[in-house]
Amino acid sequence: MASNYSYYVEDFDHRSRPRRFLEAFAAILQYSNYRFVLDTYARTSTKCARCSVTCPVYQSTEDPGDIPCFRSELLLRVYKRYFTVKGAVLSALGSGYTLSDDDIDEMAERFYRCTACRRCKMACPMGIDHGLMTHLGRWILSEIGIVPKALVVATREQLVGDTGNTSAIPVPALVDTCEFLEEELVDIFRIPAKFPFDVEDAEYVFFPAVSDFLLEADTLMGNAAVMYATGGSWTIGKGYYDGINYGLFYSDHMLERIVKKEVEELNRLKAKKILIGECGHASRSAKFFVPTFCGGKDAPPVINCMEYALECLENGKLNLKKDTIKERVTYHDPCNIARSGWIVDQPRELLKAFCQDFVEMTPNGKDNYCCGGGGGTVSIDEIRAFRTGPGGQLKARQIRETGAKYVVSPCANCKKQLREVCEDNDLADVEVVGLHDLLIKAIDLPESMLTPEIKEEAV
Amino acid sequence: MTEWLEWARGPAFVFSFTLMILGLARNFLLTMWGVFRALLRAGDKKVPWKNVFSASFSWVFPVKKLKERVWYSLASILFHVGLIIVPVFLIEHVALWRRGLGISWPTIAQSLADGLTILTIAMIIALLVGRLSTRSARALTRPQDIVLLMLIALPFLSGFLAAHPALNPFNYQATMLVHVLSGNLVMCLIPFTKLCHAVVLPLTQTVAEVGWHFPPNAGRQVRISLGKEIDAV
Repeated sequence: MASNYSYYVEDFDHRSRPRRFLEAFAAILQYSNYRFVLDTYARTSTKCARCSVTCPVYQSTEDPGDIPCFRSELLLRVYKRYFTVKGAVLSALGSGYTLSDDDIDEMAERFYRCTACRRCKMACPMGIDHGLMTHLGRWILSEIGIVPKALVVATREQLVGDTGNTSAIPVPALVDTCEFLEEELVDIFRIPAKFPFDVEDAEYVFFPAVSDFLLEADTLMGNAAVMYATGGSWTIGKGYYDGINYGLFYSDHMLERIVKKEVEELNRLKAKKILIGECGHASRSAKFFVPTFCGGKDAPPVINCMEYALECLENGKLNLKKDTIKERVTYHDPCNIARSGWIVDQPRELLKAFCQDFVEMTPNGKDNYCCGGGGGTVSIDEIRAFRTGPGGQLKARQIRETGAKYVVSPCANCKKQLREVCEDNDLADVEVVGLHDLLIKAIDLPESMLTPEIKEEAV
Repeated sequence: MTEWLEWARGPAFVFSFTLMILGLARNFLLTMWGVFRALLRAGDKKVPWKNVFSASFSWVFPVKKLKERVWYSLASILFHVGLIIVPVFLIEHVALWRRGLGISWPTIAQSLADGLTILTIAMIIALLVGRLSTRSARALTRPQDIVLLMLIALPFLSGFLAAHPALNPFNYQATMLVHVLSGNLVMCLIPFTKLCHAVVLPLTQTVAEVGWHFPPNAGRQVRISLGKEIDAV
C-alpha cells in the first residue's frame, strides 16, 4: 500500500497501523503527562468554532477539516473511544467508531497542515491548546513511522550522523566559513570581530540555527559584531553547534535528546549560559525544555541573542547610530518566541533605536499570524505551494499592507518561509532579513576597538 | 399530577441536585489531581502562575473576549449571565431553600428575573441560529450541542409560563412538572457532558500550561515499551 501524503515519508510498515497507533498512544499516555490534558479537553470541548476565525489556514481554505477544533477532535475521539471508561461502555453498546487506516491518513495530513502556531489557543474559551494536540498527534504518528522525511533525515544526522548537526556541516567547513565571515566583517563593516571556537570558561555558548552558517551570513556577522562590540564572553563549541530542534515538532523523545546535547556541550566547555541565535523554535525549545530535561531549577539559563543585545543597549555596552536604516522596516513575530515565548518588546526596542521608519503589522505581537512555515513545515520543500498559498496568503497581505522595504524576522525558519511567501505572492521588492543583519550597520564602535589595520585603511 | 409534582421536587430534586454537586466535585478534583500529578512528574516544576491566573480570570469573566465571532460571543456571555443568576437568585427558589433547609440568601426582583429569563431564552435562540448558520460551527456541531441548548431552554420557558398564568395556555401543574423535571434533567447531565465546564473552566488555562511540562525520560520509556531501539532516529 502506498501512502499519499502531501509530504515525503520514509518507507514504513503499513500492516495493522490502527493497532500500532493505539499501542504507541497507550505507551505515550503511560509515560508522559498527556492524559489529564486529553481528559480535560474531552470533558469540556464545546465545539463553538471561535478558533476557526483565528486560523490562517482555515481562513484561506475554508475546509472544515482545517478548523483547529475539528483537527483536535481527530485525536480526542480516539482517546475517548479507546482510553476512557465512557468510550468502552459506549462501544460495547455499539457507538460504531473504530480507528481505521483512513482516520490515520487524515490525521497524518491534518497535523502537518497545522503549523502549531497556537494562535487558536488564544481564542478558545475552554483553553484548549490545539498546538499541544498537534504536538501529541505528530508524536504518536512518528512512532508508527509517519513523519516527514525532511524532518527525520535532518534529526538523524544531528543525533547519530557524523557531523552531528541538521545541515550536515563538518567542523572544518564551519571553521572555514567563520574565517571567511571574519574577513567580511572587516572589509564590509570595519568591525574586527572574531568567532571564538572551543574557548573554555566562556559565559555563553552560542547555538544558532545551524543553517545560518549556510544561509544567513549577515545574521551571524551581526551576532559576532554585537559580541565584539559589547566585550561579551562567548564561544562556539566544535563538539556541538546546532540550535535546531525538530524534536519539538514531532517527538518528545527527540526533543529531549537534542536539548541534552546542548547542555552536554555547555558542560564540556565549562560555560555558564546558553545563547541562542536568531531562531524561534531553537529559543523556545532550549528555554522551556532545558529545565524540563536537564535538571529543573538547576538547569543552565538560556537567553536569546536579542535579549542579550537589548540588555547591552540599555546598560550602555552597545551603542547604535540613530536612524541608520532610512527605509521602512516592519517586524514579524516568530510564534515560538512571541506567542509561545517571552520575546515581543525586546526586538522592537532594538529596531526603534536605529530605524527611522518602523511600522507594525496588524495584528502583531502575541496575536501575530504565523509565517506559514511553522512547526517544521518550512523544511518540507514538497509542500511549498501549500505553505505559500493557503498557509502564507494572509501573511503576504499583512506584509503588503505595511509597505515596508525590510521585513525583520529573527528566526531561521520564518526567514526561509517569508522569502518564499514574498516570491510566490508578488512581493519581489520586499527584503526579508534578520534583526542582526540590520543592527550590524548601526553599530557605533569606539575608535579604541578598531585594529590598526582598519584605522590605517580609513586614512 | 400533584403526587408526581411532589416526587419531582422532592426525592427527584434531591437526587439530581446531589448528583450534580458530587459529579462536579469529582470533575473538579480529577482535573486538579491531573494537574498535581503532572507537576509531580514534570522535569520543570516552575509554572508562571501569575500569567496562568490572569488568563484564567480573563476567561471566567470574558468581558474582553469579544474580538472573535463578536455576536456569537456576546450572545454566549449574556446567555451565561441569565443562566447563572436566575435559578440561583430567584425569590421562589430561595424560598424553597429556606423552607427545606432553613438557609437563604438575597434575591432578585421579579421584573429583573423576568427580563433575564427572556434574555436567556432569546440568547439560546441566537446561539442556535449562530451555530447553524455559520459554516465552521455547523461542521463541528454534534447532536448534543443542539439538544443541550434546547433542554436548557425548557426550565426557563416553563418557569416563565408558570410565573405568568395569564400568558400560560397550559395547566399550571403540568407546566410546573415540566419545569421541575427538565431542571432536574439538566442538573443530572451537567457532570457528564460539556456542561461540566461550569467548574472545570477556571482550571483549563492551568491545564494548557502544565500540559507542556513534560516528564523527563518519557520518550525513552515509550521506546522501550514499544520494543524499539532507543537510540535509533
